[in-house]
This record gives sequence, structure tokens and C-alpha cells, in this order.
Amino acid sequence: MRYHALNDIKVVDLTHFIAGPYATKLLADYGAKVIKVEPPAGEGGRGPLFAFLNTNKLGVTLDLKHPRGRALIRELLADADLLVENFAPGTLARLGLEPSELLETFPRLSLVSISNFGQDGAESGGMLSDLTLFARGGWTFPIGERDRAPLTPPGSLAQYVGGLYGAVGAMQAIFARDLTTHRGQHVDISLLEATVATMIYETVAFQYNGILRERAGRRFAVGPFLIVTLKCRDGYAGLQCVTDKQFQGLCDLMQRPDLKTDDRFNTALKRMVSNDALLEIVAGFFLEHDRRWLYREGQARAIPLVPVPSVAEVLEWEQTRARDYFETIDDPALGRIRIPGAPLRMHSHRPDATRPAPRLGQHNREVLGALPGVGADGLATLERSGVIAGASA
Amino acid sequence: MTTIFQKKIRVLDLSMGWAGPLAGQMLAEMGAQVIKVEDTHYFDWWRGSLSMAPPEVQPIERAATFNTANRGKLGVTLDLLNPRGIDLVKRIVAHSDILIENYSPGVMERFGLTYEILAPLNPRLIMISMPSFGYGGPETFSRGYGNTVEAMAGITGLARYHDSDQPYTLSNALGDPVGGLTGTFGILAALHERETTGRGQWIELAQVEGVIPLLAGQILEYQLTGKVPAPRGNRHPDFAPHGIFRCAGGEEHAWLALAAHSDDQWRALARALGLERLATDPRFIDLASRKANEDALDAELTRALATVPIDEAVSRLRAAGVDTAPVNSAPAVLGDAQLQDRGYFVPIDRAVVGTHLYPGAVARMSATPAAQEAPAPLLGEHNAEVFRELLGMTEAELAELESAGVIGTAPRDYRKAS
Repeated sequence: MRYHALNDIKVVDLTHFIAGPYATKLLADYGAKVIKVEPPAGEGGRGPLFAFLNTNKLGVTLDLKHPRGRALIRELLADADLLVENFAPGTLARLGLEPSELLETFPRLSLVSISNFGQDGAESGGMLSDLTLFARGGWTFPIGERDRAPLTPPGSLAQYVGGLYGAVGAMQAIFARDLTTHRGQHVDISLLEATVATMIYETVAFQYNGILRERAGRRFAVGPFLIVTLKCRDGYAGLQCVTDKQFQGLCDLMQRPDLKTDDRFNTALKRMVSNDALLEIVAGFFLEHDRRWLYREGQARAIPLVPVPSVAEVLEWEQTRARDYFETIDDPALGRIRIPGAPLRMHSHRPDATRPAPRLGQHNREVLGALPGVGADGLATLERSGVIAGASA
Repeated sequence: MTTIFQKKIRVLDLSMGWAGPLAGQMLAEMGAQVIKVEDTHYFDWWRGSLSMAPPEVQPIERAATFNTANRGKLGVTLDLLNPRGIDLVKRIVAHSDILIENYSPGVMERFGLTYEILAPLNPRLIMISMPSFGYGGPETFSRGYGNTVEAMAGITGLARYHDSDQPYTLSNALGDPVGGLTGTFGILAALHERETTGRGQWIELAQVEGVIPLLAGQILEYQLTGKVPAPRGNRHPDFAPHGIFRCAGGEEHAWLALAAHSDDQWRALARALGLERLATDPRFIDLASRKANEDALDAELTRALATVPIDEAVSRLRAAGVDTAPVNSAPAVLGDAQLQDRGYFVPIDRAVVGTHLYPGAVARMSATPAAQEAPAPLLGEHNAEVFRELLGMTEAELAELESAGVIGTAPRDYRKAS
């Protein structure tokens, strides 16, 4: 979907990989005019994920190492509200786009920089991958079995968290300019800090109680709750039993009303002390039932209990079907394919259908051709000298 | 320097737990005035349970989670099962720009606080609802928290060791912070739209729909290959070594993550650890060989790293240009040199618990720094301030509301309430 809430915002998008492109994708999906600038060879990789992360963006090519490319990016910035980038710190300056100079030259422009460790500090510019970002940021330590190594989370989840902070930070810059400072500014986002920000259990709780949260196997933690992933007859189910009411509902589900008044379990504190005993009872019950039955019967008792679906099952989940959540696009590289839809449903207006991610240089003519320094005839010259690539005709 | 909103934007925060409250807390950091409403019976469940400690210890004022997610807010209490409480919510709505709620569908309807009812009182109101699975569809009324939302998005099913079926829930209830961040973005988008249209709106965020995009890569992979992506554990299909290994040290928490992203990095890694023989071992000579012999490779590294103190391993590997990090526990995160260098954690003094470090604002704004000094409110701490200044109540009216039980500062255990 493409909403229109941000349709007066213009973004020059110099991002690559995940965090930066997800930030600008959110801006584009909610209406901003996002011009994705790729090098003439295309964004490194340009794998399948490109099709998702670049929907609703306009695509142009520019060689920023070429003097003409640098001159043209400045023409794009002249009426832009945001420049979003996730190069290693210092890269922009080396490309002749020094942040403080840009803010001086283009007073309405704000810069959003997303980097591994932030723009300053001893390790600014250092290396991180999903594995080491999760580890360093504290997500990995409490996951897994006690007699095995900690288990790293799947995928590139923290990159997306960084992207969300980037999109929020971009909007903060717009509001600061429009309501308060009347000038742009530099927004500096560290992926490490974004990762740590979502780990408040660890950092704050440890200071409060001095208890080091250890790996708790199938359990989220040992606490006054039962949050656990349990084997069922036909797969796994996730249970999140936190409140007294949910515990009572769980006892009803298991047809064990006696446990409600059992002296080991009848308060939250006791359920923490007797967590192992409670887990044993519940795990035994789950093992004898199918996950769909547990899901239906648990939810009927207002217990947050879910089957643990595979990615394939998420795509076929009747809830996402009923809500038309996944959107089918006709991607120039992948063909017809389903992608996750816009997460927020705004009710002030009807959204348009999603525009697929651009082909390399697809909007060179529309965007670059309209710049005073180019003109329609200039595109062919630029392509011949290697400043741009892709569709110029 | 000044904040973004300079208290000119007012937020009514009816949410509990983490997702909704995080959105309110971020708006408070931006300088909005955020009024958090709780019920003395049904206070925010993230405060924990009254049964955790005797009343004089004030257990519900000692929850690290609540005290983090509600920083910078004004705290008021209102009995939402009492029509007078609902009436007061409506009076605050009339003075508010934003309303945040993350109740299960049906609750706001029972309160009589739907957008249809509230919008006529304040056409500029932006209301965001953040149910787990959305309004509409067969799972409208299903319950979920951060971990269950994370599971239904497909994440839990992928979180397994490479050689085991058992899935693990993530350590941070990821559905919650992702919901809060996505919700904050939506609120700001609607606020921006209001600058043009002059009108507010209702925004719906099914939290699971905010989390599924984080697995877009795996969802595309499944459609393109027809195969459900295999769980990776600590390994990676394109790199080896790629894993987590225990280092030497008196304590059992010295785990190190490392990865070689190229053959050159592998040789640099081996040499940095004094493992010349592995760098030239034909079993590990290129990526294909290392993947084929990954169990043997991991066993060699496990043996070698077991005798190297973790700090030494980190500094040797970093000097060699290898991607590495300690698997940080809570105290290690708090002591992380780069986070300290940038002053990431901020000290805040709060009643009952004292001064602690809290995670700071992630977006570092060069011109409009975050407002971060104010702690989370005690239950009903700002009743007098808000009702007097915002609604113009007199002391007598406040006293009457308190004696009628509509407001209060003492938690009431609903199981014992009449």
C-alpha cells in the first residue's frame, strides 16, 4: 500500500543493505517522495530483499565519485527535506558531502545517518554483522540451553529495529524544523544503541535486582510468569501466562482447578519460586495435545497461547488473508510475489497500490532529466561518461 | 537548546505493558506532555503483582520494566469501570492531540471510548490502537503479548540451534518494542498529515503486522525456492567459521561471537589465535571446505579458544580485522566502552528505587536533544497537577473524586475489592 500522509516530504536516499533502506521504505510507503540513488553498477548485492525494501521509491543512478555525480546530487538536495544514509562514518565527507557543510548550504535539509556504532566514539566505523550485533547488544546472552552456547537470534532483526529508529528520527527532524528550529539538523543513529534500547530487561532490571539473567532453556526467563515454547503432539506452541487470570485460565484449560489453590502456585511470587514444578505440569499437558487445539482452547480462555508457525504458515495464516495483509506486486526482477504490507493502517484516506522497487535507473529521466543542470539531452552524455546507468532513453 | 514539541503536543496514554507505553515514552523524549492513565485496581500490569512483596515495600513501584517504559510521563489514576472515570477521560481527550491505547479489541468499546465517540469531542485527535492481531479477521479477539506476537510473525520458529527442533523465544519480547517504534512512526505521520488537513484520524497497528516485515527476506526466500528457510542457529550458510565459543576465564559467561566473511579473514582469524596449522589445513582451505567440515572446524576453535581469555581474544581478533564481539550480559552491556564513550545510558533518580542508568534516546538530534531527565510516575502521582491545571478542578472536587474511588494513589487488589 502507499499512503499519502507524507506526500510533501522529499527524501534523497543514499542507503544500502537493510537498516537504511527500511527507514526510507517506511517514509515512501506513507507517501514521501523517496529518490533512491544507486551507483551505476547498482546497490551491492541487489538480492531478492531489494524488491521489498525499495517499494514506492524512485530509482536513479549517480556515480558519487565522479565530479558530475557530486554536482547533480547537490541539485537533488536543493529542495530535499531529508538525506538518509548508512555509509561508514566519514564516507559522506570523502564524497564531498560533509554533513555540517550540507546543513549550512541547504538550511531546510536534515541528515539522518545510520551506522554500526554512531558517528563518534572510539569504535565509530567498526565492523558488525547480525551475529556480532546481537551478541554485543545483549540479545544473545539469555537465549538457549544452559549446557550449550548462547543462541543467536535469527535473521537481521536488529537491522530493522535500526531502520525503525531511522524513520522515527527522520520525522523528528521534520517536526523540529517545522515547529521549533526552522532549520534542518543531523540525526545520528547507532545500530548498537538501537539494539541495546530494546533490551531493557537486561540493563535496567540488572541494576534494580542484581540478578544476572541466565539462559533458561525453553523459557523466556524464570520469573513470576510462564513464558515458554513447548513441544506439542504435532509441533510447538508458545505460551505467555503472566497474570493471575491467565494462570487460572490455564488451570481450567488443563482441567486442573486444584492448581488454582495449590500452595505452590497460588500467587505470582510462588509461581516464580515453583516455576520448574509448574513447567513440568504444563509441558506434560502440551505434549498430549495438538497445537491448533491448544491455540483455540487457550484463546477461548483469554490465554496468550499460539501455535509456533513456520514462515510458510504465516503466509497462509487466515488472519493475514482476511486482512489482505500481504500484497502481491509485480516486481521487475522477481515477477509476481507477495510481500509484507504496510504495518500501519491510516483511516483518513485510501491508500494506493504499492509501486514495485525501481529497475536500475528507472527514474533517471523523470528525476535527473528534470534537473536544471541536465535536461533531457544531457542524460545520454551522462550515461556515456559513466555517471549514470540504466534506462536513460 | 530546546525539545522538538516544547510541551505543545499533549498525549493521553491509556496503554499498558511495553508497546503502547514505549510510543508514549518516545513522544515524551521529544518534548510532548504525556499523561498516563492507570486504574488503581487495574494498574499497568508491567508494574508487576502486589503479591511480590509486602505493601510497605511498594512492589509495584519497583518494576524496572514499568519504570523504563514510562519515563517522562505524568501519572494519573481513573476508575475506567466508573462512568465518572470515563467522563474524565473524555475531558482530557478534548485537550489532547494524541491518544494511545493497546487494549484487546472490545475493551475500548466497552468503555465507550471508540474513535467514533471521541472524534466529535476533538476532530484534531489522532488515536492509535495497537491490538496484537488487528481489528478484523478471525483472530481479532485473540490475545498476545510481545513473545506471542513474535511467534505468530514467524520469528520463534526460526530461532533454533542448527541441530535441534526446539524453538526459542527471543530474549526481549521483540514484538513489543517493534510495536512501540512502528506506532511512534505512525503517530508522527498522522501528526504531519494533520498539519495540512487540520484533522486527526484513527490509526490501527496490528502488532503482528509490524513484526512480519522483519522476516521479509525469509518470506521471499520461501516463495522463490519453495523451501521453508532452515534454522541457522549460530551458523550461517555463506560463512564459516560463524559461531559462538567459550573463552577462558574464572566465570562461565565468557562467550565470544566471531565470523570470517572471506578466506582472507579466515586466515587472519586463525593466525590471530596462533592457529597457523588450521590456516593451511586443506579441510579448511576455502569456504566450501570449511562448510563441509564445519563440525571439525568448530571443534578446533572450541578447543583453541577455551584457553584464551575473552578480552585477549577480542583484541587479537579485532587487530586482525575479524568480525567479533563478546556475548554481552547485562553488566557487560552497561560497561561497554563504545556506549560509555557516547554517553548512551542516562542516570535518572526515581522515588522508591533511587538512581539508575536507563537506555537513552537512540536518535541523537544535533539541534533538539531529547528530554530524558524525568522518571516514571508513581501511581497517581500527578492527579492533582493534571486535574487542577488541565481541567480546572478545585481541591474540593479532587477530594470528592478520591473519596468516591475514581482517583487515588493507593493500589487496590481487585480480587479483594468489593
